[in-house]
Amino acid sequence: MSFPKKPGGKALDVLKTLPRISLANLRPEPGATKLERKRGRGLHGGNRSGRGHKGERQRGTRPRLGFEGGHTPFYLAIPKYGFNEGHSRRPQYQPLSLKRLQYLIDLGRVDATQPIDLTQLVNARGVTIQPLKKDYGVQLVDEGCDMFAAKINIEVQRASERVIAAIERNGGTITTSFYDPLSLGILIKPVPFFLRGQPIPKRMLPGEDMLLYYTDAENRGYLADLEKTKQARLALALKYGYTLPDISKDELYHMLRMRKDVRQLFFGLAPGWVVNMAEKKILKPTDEKLLKYYNS
Amino acid sequence: MTLPGVLLVCALHRKMAVSVLSWRTAVFCRSLKGISSSKAVIPVHSLLQTASYNPKPLRLNLRDPYIPDKNSEKTPEWQRTARYDGKLFGRYGSASGIEPASLWPSHEQLDRVVAEENEWHPPIEVMLKNIKAKQREETEKCLAKEKLIAANMAKMPKMIADWRREKRESKLKLKEERSRREMLLAEAKARFGFAVDPRSPKFLQMVAEIEKEEKKKRKIMKRRVREEQRGATAPVTPPAASS
Repeated sequence: MSFPKKPGGKALDVLKTLPRISLANLRPEPGATKLERKRGRGLHGGNRSGRGHKGERQRGTRPRLGFEGGHTPFYLAIPKYGFNEGHSRRPQYQPLSLKRLQYLIDLGRVDATQPIDLTQLVNARGVTIQPLKKDYGVQLVDEGCDMFAAKINIEVQRASERVIAAIERNGGTITTSFYDPLSLGILIKPVPFFLRGQPIPKRMLPGEDMLLYYTDAENRGYLADLEKTKQARLALALKYGYTLPDISKDELYHMLRMRKDVRQLFFGLAPGWVVNMAEKKILKPTDEKLLKYYNS
Repeated sequence: MTLPGVLLVCALHRKMAVSVLSWRTAVFCRSLKGISSSKAVIPVHSLLQTASYNPKPLRLNLRDPYIPDKNSEKTPEWQRTARYDGKLFGRYGSASGIEPASLWPSHEQLDRVVAEENEWHPPIEVMLKNIKAKQREETEKCLAKEKLIAANMAKMPKMIADWRREKRESKLKLKEERSRREMLLAEAKARFGFAVDPRSPKFLQMVAEIEKEEKKKRKIMKRRVREEQRGATAPVTPPAASS
């Protein structure tokens, strides 16, 4: 007596009933890992317990890494150069390529009909910013600038000339702006900040080392003169040989020209306001002194 | 809850179709570049786009809020701070019973904040002025150094020529001395009939004699030259004196 064999057979049934693979049930292949042997336990004590005969090996008193038995070690013999001086204090900018930005827009993870700032990019999982690791924001990288086709209004911390050209060629606008580490932490995670019940602070100005970058119209800095920025846009179009689309006749003109105030953190929210998530309310200060501080 | 999700999926599908379509139109237009004008390109990204961001659910326990009793001894110290009050307000809103005015800094705190800001955060104009001053100082330093280098480089050809001449002269002098020594030794050998030690008094005496002779010879030569010169100039000067 023979039953017709089902395709797949038992294995398919097993597969159907198994839970989905996730980090919780992933484990190494059987036999892939080997437990470390513990020497000299139980009846195996006595004598040398598998640690060899005498010396640093048996006693576990090996010299430090790089020690050459009394020579001046190599790592101390070569002189130090200044190339990496202060590397642990240098500001870092997480890279985001135009290719990936286009990908995010195409998938709908980033809404191109709204101004894009760091909050949008972080929410779309486009970049990961860690202010505690000296991250000062995001830099746009020119990879994929030839295929970039979106019209966007984006605000980043650093951008190269090619990136600026690629965005403006499509009729978009770009601004580079500075966030001090405290504001940056709030900007990338607004909800935990709102749950703290604190007023939104005002954005601090960049230090003397970064001020020149953000006052330069060629970098589309947020502190630059608007007239100069306009001229720089035209000059860049001439340099790269494209005709600059007229934004003022665009249907998204209002969106494209939106810019944050120098002291502003979020679009539509002024410094000094308290956002309450539980009641969906915004509280604004009325005290003269507070207003004066937050508006300065 | 399900309806928006469904709508979202539809939008996504439409979006993908649009992007494919737009790619095709772009290719089409590229192939027809010579014929059609650039206005034929359909504005791609003005079409419908939906951002599908699924935020983390905000789990706020509004029904049973935990509001610590400040007077109770069981309440830990950190739950009686103003910072924690702010957190309570952020979590539960007005149900927390916190006075909203306490969320902002008081006048004294604000004064402190303002004083700190005045000390550590100068306005843009001041910073720009500082930067300009620093830059000017740097350029001045650079210019001064460049000037010094240029001045020193101008002296360079003369210095090199001097050095070459000195070297050549010293070489010549050395050569002459060597040849003179050899000549003296040869002379001594001819005079005494054997090789003489150059340190021996015999040789030194001979050298002194030769030098004396040479000196005399030089003196005579000098006198003769002077006389010849006088003889040469004599016929020229009298007419100049007579006229």
